Amino acid sequence: MIETKNLKKHFHVGRNQTLHAVDGISLSIAENEILGLVGESGSGKSTFGKTLIGLHERTAGDVFFKGSPLPQKYTAKDHLRYSADIQMIFQDPYASLNPRMTVLDIIGEGLALKGIPRADIQDEVGFWLRRVGLHPDHMSRFPHEFSGGQRQRIGIARAMIIKPKFVVCDEPISALDVSVQAQVVNLLEDLKDSLGLTLLFIAHDLSMVRYISDRMAVMYLGTLVESGPSDAVFFEPKHPYTRLLIQSNPEADPVLERTRPSAELTGEITSPINMGPGCRFADRCPEVMPQCQSVTPESRLIASDHQVACHLYDER
Amino acid sequence: MIPHPALQADDFTPELSTDSLEQLSRPSLSYWQDAWIRLKKNTRAIISLYLIIGLALFTILGPFLWTKDPSAQDLDQISQAPALPKTALLVSDYLPWTPPVDQGHPAEPTGYPDTLDAVTGFAIVGTPNTQSIRLTWSPVQDAGGYSIYRSESEPSGLQGLGLPLETIDAGNILGFEDRLNLKSQTYFYSIIPTDGLDEFDVVTTLKVTPVQSITMSQALERGLIDPSDAPGRSVSLAFHPFGTDYLGRDMLARLMQGARVSLFIGVVAPFIYVLFGVFYGGFAGYLGGKIDQFLMRFADFVVALPFLLFMILFKIGFGIGPGESGILPMLVALILLLWPSTARLVRGQVLKIREQGYIEAARLLGGRPSYLIARHIIPNTMGVILVTLTFAVPSAIFTEAFLSFIGMGVAPPTPSWGSMCNEGVKTMLSHPHELFFPALFISITVLAFNLLGDGLTEALDSKMRSRE
Amino acid sequence: MGTHKLLEVSNLSVEFETYGGVVKAVRGVDFSVDAGEVLAIVGESGCGKSVTVQSIMGIIPMPPGKITGGSAKLKGEEILGLQAQAANQFRGKEIGMIFQDPMTSLNPTMTIGAQIAETLKVHRGLSTQQASEIASELLIRTRIPEAQKRLNQYPFEFSGGMLQRAMIAQSLACSPSLLIADEPTTALDVTIQAQILDLLKELQSRDGMAIILITHDLAVVARTAQNVCVMYAGQIVEQGSVDDIFYKSAHPYTLGLKLAMPSNVSQQNKKLEPIPGSPPDLFSPPSGCGYAARCPHAMRICHKENPPLFSDPREPLHAARCWLQAPGAPKTQGLYQPNLIASHGA
Repeated sequence: MIETKNLKKHFHVGRNQTLHAVDGISLSIAENEILGLVGESGSGKSTFGKTLIGLHERTAGDVFFKGSPLPQKYTAKDHLRYSADIQMIFQDPYASLNPRMTVLDIIGEGLALKGIPRADIQDEVGFWLRRVGLHPDHMSRFPHEFSGGQRQRIGIARAMIIKPKFVVCDEPISALDVSVQAQVVNLLEDLKDSLGLTLLFIAHDLSMVRYISDRMAVMYLGTLVESGPSDAVFFEPKHPYTRLLIQSNPEADPVLERTRPSAELTGEITSPINMGPGCRFADRCPEVMPQCQSVTPESRLIASDHQVACHLYDER
Repeated sequence: MIPHPALQADDFTPELSTDSLEQLSRPSLSYWQDAWIRLKKNTRAIISLYLIIGLALFTILGPFLWTKDPSAQDLDQISQAPALPKTALLVSDYLPWTPPVDQGHPAEPTGYPDTLDAVTGFAIVGTPNTQSIRLTWSPVQDAGGYSIYRSESEPSGLQGLGLPLETIDAGNILGFEDRLNLKSQTYFYSIIPTDGLDEFDVVTTLKVTPVQSITMSQALERGLIDPSDAPGRSVSLAFHPFGTDYLGRDMLARLMQGARVSLFIGVVAPFIYVLFGVFYGGFAGYLGGKIDQFLMRFADFVVALPFLLFMILFKIGFGIGPGESGILPMLVALILLLWPSTARLVRGQVLKIREQGYIEAARLLGGRPSYLIARHIIPNTMGVILVTLTFAVPSAIFTEAFLSFIGMGVAPPTPSWGSMCNEGVKTMLSHPHELFFPALFISITVLAFNLLGDGLTEALDSKMRSRE
Repeated sequence: MGTHKLLEVSNLSVEFETYGGVVKAVRGVDFSVDAGEVLAIVGESGCGKSVTVQSIMGIIPMPPGKITGGSAKLKGEEILGLQAQAANQFRGKEIGMIFQDPMTSLNPTMTIGAQIAETLKVHRGLSTQQASEIASELLIRTRIPEAQKRLNQYPFEFSGGMLQRAMIAQSLACSPSLLIADEPTTALDVTIQAQILDLLKELQSRDGMAIILITHDLAVVARTAQNVCVMYAGQIVEQGSVDDIFYKSAHPYTLGLKLAMPSNVSQQNKKLEPIPGSPPDLFSPPSGCGYAARCPHAMRICHKENPPLFSDPREPLHAARCWLQAPGAPKTQGLYQPNLIASHGA
């Protein structure tokens, strides 16, 4: 359904400094699939999500939706045209709802922009409020009266009411409490099943991503290092960075934690400014080889649907 | 185990909570309602609000209730301090008075007397009033004339006799009429007998307090009496609750008219320049990049321009000579020179808001930039705009007052509080009320707006407290 | 070692006066920390975990905050409610503290070296020279590379993880016997989090320092803690060793938390079971159990009275505040109920 080819997004920061936030990502998401995208700070996963749907202007590369290309720079008309196809759920439930608008206006905004009459909007909003587990009476209230989890559900209703086919979820649960995260995740799964949605689930919580996604992709400093079926990537990581991530991911199981080897990591995550050729992870990789510094590894298929970008897997 | 009350078997029956888990505890409050509640708790701000409402009523409705003409001169009550209504004696129009002459007395003395007796019988004729004071006395033996003095304070002996009014050079003229600049206050008249040439060292003093008088024709002119009225009775003069100024104009009426001028400039100018600043800053903040840089540098340039200089330039440019009223150039100067601070403030807010998720969400739903600015950005900057406005008003009022005070603003006869202060300063020591009232009004207005602005800042800027 | 525990907190209660009313943030909390022990206090936002440790440290502004009861004894001496001078005797010296966001906890206008040295000069009366040397050692101890160079750098030149290490270094300056870490890794990436947690464990095992770790992440607890207190709505609802909490959960809230988290242990994907609703309003805490409104096993007594802490006499350190632990309570699936087993002789 969604396919990107060599997608790039660069920012200019300061004089002659370029932030290579997204540097050549090619991946595809099948219909009715959930693709999980993980990475730490600086990986560019959020930027990727926003560039994919046109909130950022693309620097290079192509994006295809159901086979047809999407514009590089979106005008408001473009967004309006695609709003019923592609939508987004935002990260911060406290900043993603306009504090001066009622819940009715917030959720119904997409419909209002399409010119649907007010009475119909009210019916739809009532329906969707119930659908996400809130009470229809709440539509006359303001965002600050709701808890974080409830606000996130309002954000979900806002995205779903226009019945999109593809939704990018940008860290939808990071700002929520543990018990509430499960509410939102279950809701997303439920909506995906009943509406036949395709989701891109961006998060940094590996366990949650593995739980909800069919396939998983790992980003590091703007590049895609590994992608494949969630369980395969999680339990048999091939890329050294993925291995490091999985190892560092704490488990809610004390016995397991005690018997685990501790992560042997060095160094800090750098910032993707002025990147040259070569593998981005080379300066921290425990299995670094001479060619890693100078030659950018290409993404190779090592099993059906499991790709890695690492010189360890180069064909000899 | 920690002791606890004995439990019965039925305490263990399952009972799930029946309350809806998604209920909201507090009643719904919009941003403005919440801000209003907070504002009401701030006593100073509420008092200021009432003061401002009072001022608005004073300015708008006042002239309809107090209909005195601000430029009408009440010459009988010049520089009058605030007082209750005064009465005046109704007198017939002036007819000259011949002082009595005693024919049985020589006009000149026969010899040159060494001493003369003091004058006796020094008395007032009729009712002394501000039209004329008539005095008479008994003739002095061997006197060849009399000298009349008038002082406002009691003379001690031959000292402090005051103003020499008249030298009468005949011993048998026994009366004098004083019409010199009479006011309704106490005078001390002193009379000294002379031999026709020199004064002798004896003096008689009389204390006279004339009543305010008004002639029939003046009273008729002012509509205070009917034609059928006869002199002799008292009429009430125009009431000036705040007194009059140095030209006899009613202070209250002038304050009202001044209020219109001062508040017109003080409210209209800020509204216009804040509005302009909002659009300018909003535009710059939203577009960002080079346009933003350029727009802001231009704003910096405007800040650097000297205000007074440009005021004068505008005045000249508008072709207004000295002494003419400069309301329009002042308005234009204020608007053209004071918008940058608002623009900067709004731009800062816009930059902050632009980063918020809901802007991106609205963009994604297909909102055009104008829609985003109008529907999302501006409503969230309303708080800042309102506060800016509340502080801009007193600043403009004060600027206008200052400019009028130094003569660069409105000029007489158009009153503004500032020009009234300018006039009042000249008589500050003798008639302080002329300075006191306009200054008081300026101070109260500026203070009230500032306190209200403070209160609004607190009420509007508090972050909405959610359940977390 | 004396008979005193390192830190003993009993019946601590803290309230806040806000413009909406009085919030009872902490309602009768008891716990203790031994020397060299790692205690985790885990709970969600609003449960009172941060307020608890902050009031022990005395860093809560006293209006609007108010300690309405209880005591906190450090090595036998009362430290609760001490003001300025007296508080400075133990703050920073006996007890160190690190916070969630190191960026805002460190002075951006002072170099790291200067800030660490300041602590040393104030508490141990060292000269600038001596303090610098020790600061350098501390940075090395917390594994900051190029320690000498870093001494003269400002906080903005550090990354998030390194800044957190610098803050740990500063808190170690006076070799405190207890370190309180308030959500130290919440803002960090998972790889950096692993490093910081390992560093904390190293400090504990090598220097014998006790640690109170505040977090909302159960996985972090599993990785780092020896003993755990689970807090909800201002009270401790379950406490015990980390194995007790995870394998023998005795409170429905603990159970609920576990069920709401995805597990990677088995490769099967059990559906997450969220806990419906949200924590109670602490303006007027419920008279019964604070969790009753969300508990799937709530009983009549739960809505009427707040349960005391129950524990099995054979395992006195494992306690749960739940009526299901009282003898006579119905058997509940998944819940560890020792009293039930004992009385039923199972």
